[in-house]
Amino acid sequence: MPKTLDAVTLALLGAFRLNGYIFVGTLVIAIPLGLAISFGSMSRFGPLRWFTKTFVWAIRGTPLMLQIMIAFFAPPLLFGIVLPRTETAIIAFGINYAAYFSEIYRGGIESIPRGQLEAGQVLGMTRSQIFRKIVLMQVIKRITPPMGNEIITLIKDTCLARVIAIMEINMKAQQFASKGLIWPLFYSGVFFLVFVGVLTVLFNYFERKLNYFR
Amino acid sequence: MKLKHLTVLMLVLLTLLSLVSCQTPASGATATPASGATTAPDDSSAPDEDDWSYIKAKGNLIIGYTLYEPMNYMDGETLTGFDTEFAQAVCDKLGLEPVFTVIVWDTKEVELEAKTIDCIWNGMTIDEERSQNMNISQPYVKNMQVVIIRKENADLYTDTASLAGKTIAAEAGSAGEKVVNENTDLSQGTLVPVLQQTDALLEVKAGTSDAAVLDYVLAKAMVGEGTDYADLQIVDGLELAVEEYGIGFRKNSTATEKVNAVIDELIADGTLQALADKYDVNLAD
Repeated sequence: MPKTLDAVTLALLGAFRLNGYIFVGTLVIAIPLGLAISFGSMSRFGPLRWFTKTFVWAIRGTPLMLQIMIAFFAPPLLFGIVLPRTETAIIAFGINYAAYFSEIYRGGIESIPRGQLEAGQVLGMTRSQIFRKIVLMQVIKRITPPMGNEIITLIKDTCLARVIAIMEINMKAQQFASKGLIWPLFYSGVFFLVFVGVLTVLFNYFERKLNYFR
Repeated sequence: MKLKHLTVLMLVLLTLLSLVSCQTPASGATATPASGATTAPDDSSAPDEDDWSYIKAKGNLIIGYTLYEPMNYMDGETLTGFDTEFAQAVCDKLGLEPVFTVIVWDTKEVELEAKTIDCIWNGMTIDEERSQNMNISQPYVKNMQVVIIRKENADLYTDTASLAGKTIAAEAGSAGEKVVNENTDLSQGTLVPVLQQTDALLEVKAGTSDAAVLDYVLAKAMVGEGTDYADLQIVDGLELAVEEYGIGFRKNSTATEKVNAVIDELIADGTLQALADKYDVNLAD
C-alpha cells in the first residue's frame, strides 16, 4: 500500500465519497419520510397514531448498527433476495433518521400557538392553507438548529456501514493501520472536521436567511 | 368541516394501503416457514443439494475474504496472495469467474447462508464447530497459532506461563481467540477481542495489549525485520494449536467435491506447490 501523504489522502478521499453518498441518500429518504411519519404521529385517527408511535419507538429503541445488519441479512435469509450493500445501508439509515426527524418536525409543528390556527380558521382558510401559509415557514425556522444537529451526527454515523463490509473511510483507514501505518486512522478525522465545518457554515447561512421574520 | 373528514379518510386509506403492501411480503414470509414447519429441514437442504448447479448457472464464484497477508492482500491496486491466485486457478479449471468480495469475518457464516457469497477462501482454519456449520474442502495449507510480542519483551515472555494474567489480543471468533480461552495460562489474563487479526498486531505495537495470538502464516509475513511491524516478534518455539486451512462452502454444498477434485489436479501438476513457494506457506500433508 502507498504510504505518502498524497497517496493516503487520495485513498481516504475515495473512501469518503461512499460516506458522502450514504449521507446524501439518507437525507433524500429521511427528510420527506420523516414528515409523513410526523403527520402520522399527530393524526387524530387513533390506530394510525398508535402504529406510527410504535414504529418510531422500535426504530429509536434499537441500535442503528443492528438495523443495518438486519436490513442487509434478513431479506436474503428470508426471501433469497440479495440486495446491494451500499443501497441497503442507505435504506436502513433513511428509515432510522426519518424516525428522529419526525419527532423534530412534530415538536416544531406543535410549538406553533393554537391561536394562530384559530385565526386562520376565522379567516376562512382550510387546514392545508393554514399549514402552508402560516405554520410551515415558522416551523422550518424553529427546526433548523435541531435538524442541523442530527444532520451533523449523520455524517459521522455513516461509519457504521462498515459492519456489512462497506469500504467507507473508517474501514479504509483501519486497513492502513492494520498494515502498520497508524497515522491515516487519526488523519481520517480531518475529512469529517472539514465536512462538518462546511455544514455548519451552510446552516448558519440558512438561519440568517430565515431571520426576516421572528 | 367536510374537507377535514376527507383528509382523515385519505390518511386512513393511505395507511391501510401501506399496511396491506407491507403485509403481502410479510405474510408470505411467515407463511413459508409456518406451512413448511414440519418439512423445514428438507426445505433448507433442498436448495443446498443443488448448490453446484446454482453456482454453475450464474457463472461466477463469489469469494468472501478479508485482507490477510499472504493469503489475500493488496499489491498496489490489485488483489493478490496465495488464496487469491489459488482461487483464480481453481475457477479457471471450473469455468467460473471469480468475484472477490470483502466481508466482515464475524458474519461470514451469515454471508454464506444469505448467498451474498458462495465460499470463504481466506486462510480459514478447519475446526469442529466450522465443520458442523459449513461444508469445508480438503485441507490445503498447514498453520499454527503463535504469540506475538514487542521485541523489548523478548526476555520477559518466553512461554505461556510467563504470559499468565497479561492482556492478550486476538481476533473475535478466530482460532487464536479459542487458544487464548482454552489455554490454562493465557486464559487467566484479559482477552481483547479485536475485529481482525491485524488489529491484534496494532494492539501490541501500540502497547494496549501485551501479546497477540494469531496465525503463523500471517505473522511470518507481517512481523519482524524488514516488515511493517519490525518492532514486533514471534515468541520462539511456542507453537499452539497446529491446524490446517480449508475453503468453507454452504452446508451440504455440492460445490465442495468439484473444488476438491480440482485441488487434487493442481497438487498433481505442481501448481499449488509453486504457489506455496512463491508466498512462503506450507502445504498440508
